[in-house]
Amino acid sequence: MIAGMHLTTIGDGNILLEPGDGLDPSQPGVYLEVLISHLQSNRTRRLIYDLSNVPIIDNIYYDWLVSVNSICRISGIEMVTANMAPTAAYNLATSIDHDPPFATALDVDSARQI
Amino acid sequence: METAEKMEIAESKRRPVNQILIDQLMLNMGNISTIIENRGRDIFGKTNLLTIEEISDYTLEFLELFVVLLQADDDIDRNSAEYKALRQYFSTCAQQMQMRGGDLNELVRYIQFLQSVFINGLKQEESISFDDSRQVLLVLASMFSEIVLDVFHFYLSEKERTIQVQQDEIRQTSTPITQIWDGVLTLPIIGTLDSSRTMMIMETLLSRIESERARMIVMDITGVLAIDTQVSHHLVQIVRAVGMMGAEAILTGIRPEVARALTSLNIDLSGVTTRASLSDGLKEAFRRLGITVSAATQT
Repeated sequence: MIAGMHLTTIGDGNILLEPGDGLDPSQPGVYLEVLISHLQSNRTRRLIYDLSNVPIIDNIYYDWLVSVNSICRISGIEMVTANMAPTAAYNLATSIDHDPPFATALDVDSARQI
Repeated sequence: METAEKMEIAESKRRPVNQILIDQLMLNMGNISTIIENRGRDIFGKTNLLTIEEISDYTLEFLELFVVLLQADDDIDRNSAEYKALRQYFSTCAQQMQMRGGDLNELVRYIQFLQSVFINGLKQEESISFDDSRQVLLVLASMFSEIVLDVFHFYLSEKERTIQVQQDEIRQTSTPITQIWDGVLTLPIIGTLDSSRTMMIMETLLSRIESERARMIVMDITGVLAIDTQVSHHLVQIVRAVGMMGAEAILTGIRPEVARALTSLNIDLSGVTTRASLSDGLKEAFRRLGITVSAATQT
């Protein structure tokens, strides 16, 4: 278990990450090493980051997502976000001037099929 | 006699403004009422804005409220409940006139006429001193000006509300998002894309993507006649937001002049799928979803 997030193996090398209330995205150093260690030990191919409980993605949260994606990519793991709320997509699209480096999917099922 | 002493005596003899108006009303109530009613018929009766009975009722109500206001104190108190009631009466009149399609000018002319009735009454009364007349005139002018301003404010706020409602309706109808197939939405954009409209389109589109679980969005901009840096930036924002929701956007109907403008503006649309026409865009959307549309074979 990693504090602040719930990780579930959902088959075919996919792991679902559901962030909890305890997650502090401004402190990526606290989580990244433990997270990647867990993913590698489970032979993960794809990390599906469920954003359904994240209503707004501000710069700090976006940087956190980019950090997770970077460490996943270094380890040969694909990161896909799923269930981004309309408010979060709206907010993020107007605050960044490039496409995010990670893949996005409508829901977890779609993310598994990418 | 000293000047100051004379002024003091004159002051002591002065009747309060309200009392002068009350006396005037009490003496000529019937006459004033008839004059006001006749004028009301001239202004509102001919255009069928108010019935004869309504004009009579309005006249009586105005006189009643005015008398109550005058009787409340020696001078007109702008903060009194009676004064507020009189202003409310005119606001209600304005509301009713506007609902019936009345013109602001008609009501303002009527209010000015009410004022002139009392001013004319002063002329006919010889016992009123110059100073008293001046005081009454000042009070009447100030009170009726305030009422006219109230009516203007009411009309303006109603107009603004109407314009806002119409703008919202135009916005809604100018961006009809249609689910043309399971998971496929079309969004024809017509007219100019400014920041507020882009925001509205984005909000509506993203909510529809979530509720319809849409995977392909075909945005047709055939109706966009001109494009500048800001508009293209807005388009890219919409496409990006669609992508973040996990859907894909296809941009169709880019007119030659718009394409040329985009090129000269150095707008990078390399990350955006584009097709010449709406039908090409739909075909691409179907292809990506693995849907084949073919003509039915006749048996």
